[in-house]
Amino acid sequence: MNRFVIIGGLVVVAGLAVAVYRAKLGAEETQGRIDELKAETVKVEKDIAVLKAEEAYLTRPERIGPIARERLGLEQASPGQYVAAEALKQRLGEERLTLPAPDATPEAPSTVSPTQQ
Amino acid sequence: MSVLDPPYEDVWGPRRVRMIAAALALVFVVIVGRSAWVVFNSPQRNDDGAAVVEQVRRADIVDRDGQLLVTTLQGWSLAADPSAIWDVGEVVDALKSVFPNLNTTQLAQTLSDKKRRFVWVRRGVTERERRAVKDLGMEALRFVEEPQRVYPNGSLAGHLLGYTNVDGAGLEGVEKIYDARLKAGGDPLRLTIDASAQYVLEEELEAAFQQFDMQGAAGMLIDANTGAVRAIASWPASDPRKRGDEPPEAKTNRAINARMELGSIYKPLTVAAALEAGKLSTADRFNVSAPVRIGSAVVREPHPLANASSVSASDIIVYSSNIGSALIAQRIGPEKLKTFLGDLGLLGGVTITGPQTASPLTPAEWDQTAMATVAFGHGISVSPLAFAMTYSPFATGGELVTPTFLEPVDPATVQRKRVMSRETAATVLAMLRRTVVEGSGKLAEAQGYEVAGKTGTAEKPTPDGYDPNRNITSFAAVFPASRPQFVVLVVLDEAQPRTGAIRTASVTAATIAGNVIARAAPLLDVQPVLGAPTVKAASLQGSDGPRSEGVAQ
Repeated sequence: MNRFVIIGGLVVVAGLAVAVYRAKLGAEETQGRIDELKAETVKVEKDIAVLKAEEAYLTRPERIGPIARERLGLEQASPGQYVAAEALKQRLGEERLTLPAPDATPEAPSTVSPTQQ
Repeated sequence: MSVLDPPYEDVWGPRRVRMIAAALALVFVVIVGRSAWVVFNSPQRNDDGAAVVEQVRRADIVDRDGQLLVTTLQGWSLAADPSAIWDVGEVVDALKSVFPNLNTTQLAQTLSDKKRRFVWVRRGVTERERRAVKDLGMEALRFVEEPQRVYPNGSLAGHLLGYTNVDGAGLEGVEKIYDARLKAGGDPLRLTIDASAQYVLEEELEAAFQQFDMQGAAGMLIDANTGAVRAIASWPASDPRKRGDEPPEAKTNRAINARMELGSIYKPLTVAAALEAGKLSTADRFNVSAPVRIGSAVVREPHPLANASSVSASDIIVYSSNIGSALIAQRIGPEKLKTFLGDLGLLGGVTITGPQTASPLTPAEWDQTAMATVAFGHGISVSPLAFAMTYSPFATGGELVTPTFLEPVDPATVQRKRVMSRETAATVLAMLRRTVVEGSGKLAEAQGYEVAGKTGTAEKPTPDGYDPNRNITSFAAVFPASRPQFVVLVVLDEAQPRTGAIRTASVTAATIAGNVIARAAPLLDVQPVLGAPTVKAASLQGSDGPRSEGVAQ
């Protein structure tokens, strides 16, 4: 009996040792994977930093202003291009006169094109 | 062992004991072997055997909208192993072909020390230089990857941003002031600066140099309600990429670290002090037709005013009367003027978050003479930034705000100090608007943005007195006058028009300030004033108001 207990105990200890070993091995593999991902993250972060720097370089005001002007014809807004909110409301009100009534059914013939709407 | 002891019972047997011992020894060997493997093949080490060190990346610096101003990228530095060099001269000559400005004598001396295994040759090399060195094919040279500060916008906001040394330690500007915060990494440091407005300001200061022969310039745009500095620049510009290897005139940040006598832009402060003290009303008239002696100073007008025998306080500002300003100051006395200017932060003692301004140079004794000269901006030197803030009360209804350089700016925590009544602020604001509509600041007008400001032309002090041929010209303003949002200040040092002889602020600084406002206001979301303005500038003009005979100061 005593012998069986000892042998059984040894088997259990051996089993536990194997389990611990496997767990440790698994942890190391996982740690290795984590390190790989961390290294990958660092690399991606570096790449992102480079891309952001390139974006900032390409969109710097010194460069983007002339390009917007020459290629897109964009100019800085002049005060004359602004309209007071009251004037806008009035203008919209006049235009609404030409639009269909709000309760008009979809089937009703429309007098304005979609672009006008 | 005694013979009386019971006989030893060998239940295992020596053979089995040896087997177990061998098994245990095997387990032990495995454990030791595995331990050794863990020690020498730890996943914490990379393929080169060098330990993986997680470095904290120095934080980026961005503008208020997140536009990247400064970042950190991995770069390369060149190192050498002197012990592996056979012919130092050959290596030095080869490196000289890649780095023409290399100090060959010093490098040859360093590389000749065969006891050393590692020396830096060049920190922070470009990709082109790296390729060129690699093409040399010299085994003793190697590249080390290390972080480098990068400024994608070049010299934009260079004075404010400052720079770091090769080891990433902040040496100047924001890089130095917030060094600890930046070293800790994390989120970008967000400045109040607007990159687009900053560019406009810098471009206009550069354009000023095309228009005027000048020694230097400074300018700034500040949110009058929060103190957020949206643009601040000093000319000549400083390029952070040069790490301070620039001429002295480019190193000085004139906007913050220089102090200057700014001249007549002080006159609105004198008027405000008198209004606040109850010693002046808008209906009061002054005789400025003849020089006056106050203390030991004889105050004269550089340009005589029409109807000079009867001018209002508004006229004194609009046509920039030195005599009138001195007479107004005389009403309140030196102590009250000193206290008022002190409340505005012009005598020091204002704590701001960010770059510290140059300490002011103020009169040693506030007597009648000092009072009379300070009244029109002489005898007191302050930094342009410190002065710009004194116009914030005209925009906020009497409250002085403290400049700030970091976002987010919480309106609830903005430092405000009431320095004048709402009525005084409104009255002086109307006078400033009138100065632009019909006085010395006409060229500063930006259509739709109701500029309200004052010109200043101050002779530069020298050890032999004031030099009439060298001026500091300035223009300080708030805009739009109907609903003030921003303070602007432009200062030009010894600006001399390249064509024409007039070099007063009405021609120099006012023109540049007007250009800055016209271009920067839309970028700063300032809606132009449409329709009739609410500030009745003309209402402050006396019916017999004067007209300047000469060029307004």
